[in-house]
Amino acid sequence: MARLILGGVWVAAGMSKIGDLAASGRAVAAYRLLPHDAATFLGAVLPFLEIALGLLLILGLATRLAAAASAILLIAFIAGIASAWARGLRIDCGCFGAGGDLAAGEQPQYFSETIRDIALLALAGFLVVFPRTRFSLDSRLLDGGPRQ
Amino acid sequence: MSRRADQKQAARVIRQQLAAERRRTRTMWITFVAVGVLLIAGLIGWGVWQSQKTTSYATPAGVTENGGTDAGILVAGDGPVTVEVYLDFICPACKQFEATVNPTLNQLLADKKIRLVWHTLGFLDGASTTQYSTRAASSAGCASDGGKLKEYGEALFAQQPAEGGPGLSDDQLIDVGGTVGLNAPSFAQCVRDVRYSDWVAHVNDMASQRGVNQTPTVFVAGKQVKQPTAENVAAAVAAA
Repeated sequence: MARLILGGVWVAAGMSKIGDLAASGRAVAAYRLLPHDAATFLGAVLPFLEIALGLLLILGLATRLAAAASAILLIAFIAGIASAWARGLRIDCGCFGAGGDLAAGEQPQYFSETIRDIALLALAGFLVVFPRTRFSLDSRLLDGGPRQ
Repeated sequence: MSRRADQKQAARVIRQQLAAERRRTRTMWITFVAVGVLLIAGLIGWGVWQSQKTTSYATPAGVTENGGTDAGILVAGDGPVTVEVYLDFICPACKQFEATVNPTLNQLLADKKIRLVWHTLGFLDGASTTQYSTRAASSAGCASDGGKLKEYGEALFAQQPAEGGPGLSDDQLIDVGGTVGLNAPSFAQCVRDVRYSDWVAHVNDMASQRGVNQTPTVFVAGKQVKQPTAENVAAAVAAA
């Protein structure tokens, strides 16, 4: 279950950004944490990485590795949102598709975004500790091998 | 323990060791494959990004160097103080800005105090189902070719479509041109071709590099006016 939820979220997050990589780059740049070129590069690569991670988790392949990578990414996201929050920037996290500064009247959703990412981080942590779950390719390949 | 039992025991240990060895090898391979998948995904992203980056773009008449190479477009005036407005034709706050601040800008233009430059962003393509943001900004470039950018831009705000819908169609964008005297077939063709979409993408990049990712954003004499009300803009022009 944890695998499917985390993997599904990754795939959804990646798919929502993949249609407009330039917008994804601008969303990263809006955090003003990275030099502009690095931000646009990260913005372009991130959606593909998210989808790949999501697929690994859904298939249950190299679950511990994928979960650990998820945890690292999530910690980076939480740090990014927290720093935007602390600096008083008014931006949309860009978590699912285009982000950027908010128009007047829109409120940043920093609290709920942070809580959501922490919940996902907990799922990732669980999978790092207990990576072996039912219906995963890992258990097929490792336990279901030819018996003697 | 009998010799026979010893042998059995030894065989089992060896079998277990072999199995553990196999598991290790498999785990290693799985890890290799997974890391490979992630690397390839990253490379694909990089490749797609590279291929999408536009290095060449056609520029409409009247582009300016304000805020970066070809990053702005001259709307009107040649006064001593340059007023730059970052706008997106689908952004409701920009329509609001247009309604409240334009009279002041027009007065300043009439007094020959300012030179008005727009940065026609197409960064809200996600707000319509047809990339209206970029199409409208490109059409504004076409209108600049026809010498009617100001009139056309104002007409676009007057007809601003709701966010989340399809926006104005190409035909409607052409019709809006007709209402301000842009009747030439070349204008219609330019709108249909979305001739300046690459330039609009370039304007987006330049804005993002300047740290502008919100519209409307206003610069007077190169300095951002944080709260761009009519009074604040007029005060900034007077102070410049």
